[in-house]
Formats: sequence, C-alpha cells, structure tokens
Amino acid sequence: MPHQCVRCNKFYEDGAKEILKGCSCGARLFFYIKKEKLKQAEEVIEQLKPEEKKQIEKDVFDIVEIKRDDMSPVVLDFEAINVRKPGKFEIDLVHLFKKDPLVFKFGDGKYVIDLAETFKTAKNASSKRRK
Amino acid sequence: MLKRLKNAFKGVGGLFNIFKRRRQLKLGLYGPPNGGKTTLANRLCEEWLGETMGSTSKVAHETRTIQQKENVIIKKGSKTINFNLVDTPGIATKIDYEDFVKAGMKEKEAKKRAKEATKGVIDAIKWLDEMDVVIVVLDATKDPYSQVNITIIGNLQARDIPVLLVGNKVDLKKASLKKIQSAFPQYDVVGISALKGKNINKFYEALFKIAK
Repeated sequence: MPHQCVRCNKFYEDGAKEILKGCSCGARLFFYIKKEKLKQAEEVIEQLKPEEKKQIEKDVFDIVEIKRDDMSPVVLDFEAINVRKPGKFEIDLVHLFKKDPLVFKFGDGKYVIDLAETFKTAKNASSKRRK
Repeated sequence: MLKRLKNAFKGVGGLFNIFKRRRQLKLGLYGPPNGGKTTLANRLCEEWLGETMGSTSKVAHETRTIQQKENVIIKKGSKTINFNLVDTPGIATKIDYEDFVKAGMKEKEAKKRAKEATKGVIDAIKWLDEMDVVIVVLDATKDPYSQVNITIIGNLQARDIPVLLVGNKVDLKKASLKKIQSAFPQYDVVGISALKGKNINKFYEALFKIAK
C-alpha cells in the first residue's frame, strides 16, 4: 500500500524509513491509500466542499490529539473512523478493540494512524501484564 | 480472576501487589450511550462519597470524557470494597450531529458534540485494559442484540475481565430483563433503576460477588 506525502505527493511503500522519520521534503504527514477504495473515495470527496475538507481535517487532528508543534510523523489512513462529513462519524468498533493503530477516513482515500499513541497504548498494556 | 491472582503471586513483590491491587480496584462503567452509566455512577458517588460524578441528559453522548472518582468505599455488613470508579463515554458505531440538532442543539454545537463523542469512544476503548472489573450498563427497554453490546461484552470476555451486566431502567414498562439474559446467558444480569434506586442492594450483592 502506498503512503503519499501530503506536501510533495511523493509515494513511499510500507516500512519506508521516511514514514517513521519524515519525508525528504520535511513534511511529517502521509496519506495511506488503499487502491481498491480509491474510486469510491473519490466520489465521496467530490461532494465535499473545500471548507468541509478543512473542517474534517481539523476534527480528525483534534480527535487524535495531534498538536501543531508535534514533530512526530503521522500516517493518515481510512479504516477505524469514517468521516463522511463534518459531524458525521462512523466508527469501526472491531478495529478499535483490536488495538490496531488509530485510523481515520477523510472521505478521499486518505488515512490517519496515530503511531505514537498506538505504541504508547501497546507499551502500557504490556507493562501492565508484566506486573 | 484466577489468572490475575497467579500473576500477583509471581516474584518477590507478589504479596505486596495483592494488597496494592485490592486497594485500587478500577471499576469501569461501560455501555452504549444513554444506558444510564452516569446516573448509576452518580448514585454510587452520592451514596458513598457524598458528591456526584457528572451531568446527565436525555440527549445522547452527554459524557464525552473519562470521569473518575477515587476511593469510593462501598460497605455492606462486614464487607468492604474500595474502588476507583471510572465512568466512560457511551460506545457507538455511528455518531451524527443531525441527531443532536433534532434534539434542539445548534449546528455548530452539535458538530462539536459529535467530534467529542467520537473521541470519547476511542478513549473508552483505550481505557478498557486498565479495568479490573467492568459493569456493562444496558438500557433494559432496548433490544440487547446490538453490535455495540455484542462487541463490548465479547471483548471483555476475551480479555478475561470480570463483568457485571446491569439492565437499567427496569422501572419502565417496556423493560425486559429476560431479553438481556437470553442475549448474554454467560453472565448474571441485575435489573435496576439507577435513577430511582430500585434493586440497588441486589446490585451491591452482585458487585461484591464479582469483585471478591
């Protein structure tokens, strides 16, 4: 699955070091695009107004608690939470309960995974089990 | 519980861990929105702490952040349990601001509520591993065979977390505890009215049984 840099549109494959360290252009935000859903996603985004896209992006960043000064790279994905329009959320509980990375649908084939939070959660869970 | 005891005995600090755990049992209230989690939390906190946990509303997703009260000490006869009580946001698969608008909210406020409620669902699920005991609060007037209920209870079972199922709102005519019992036969179900205090002593008995 390709990861696309939001700023320069460069594609990276799974596991590329740029996804963990940041793109060569300096950006730290990537879109994770599932090929089979691209067409469907494009139809959704065509109906969104620019201000709605902006609002969705802001909402998603609020939900995953990404601060503007946070330098950690973030990969955007599509699965666990589907934002069809601002204020309309569909949540895949099975995905969330499985403790997969947090994933957010923008409605255009772009995804969010909060890697730092995921690792933190996994670390907490494993340290608790060790107690 | 057996697994937890075994783990507690591991290592030199095993005995200490038992006492530590006994002192700080985390009791989580989980369930779909508007089941009465916060109403039950308020009843417990008012009765044993003399203060409330949080606000309640007929509009779903009133609780959108994790709420905690430490040292909730419940005493019944010679029995005592000391809990860290955790009230969680309602878990849902779909959150639509238009539902809040229909309930009388302005669009901007409704969209903010939807965003916060979505974050609340994620937080509630993240906190699940922290819980020692979970009370699942279901609205006994509603169909228990929902994706939310089945997913929550299935995951609790898979994680080996002790569960007490509560069928709330049994004071209402439409309530059916039998439906909940047949949906989740592996668990005991206590029917209560958190609002009116009906069967609250039965709830305490069941709680002592599950948290022993």
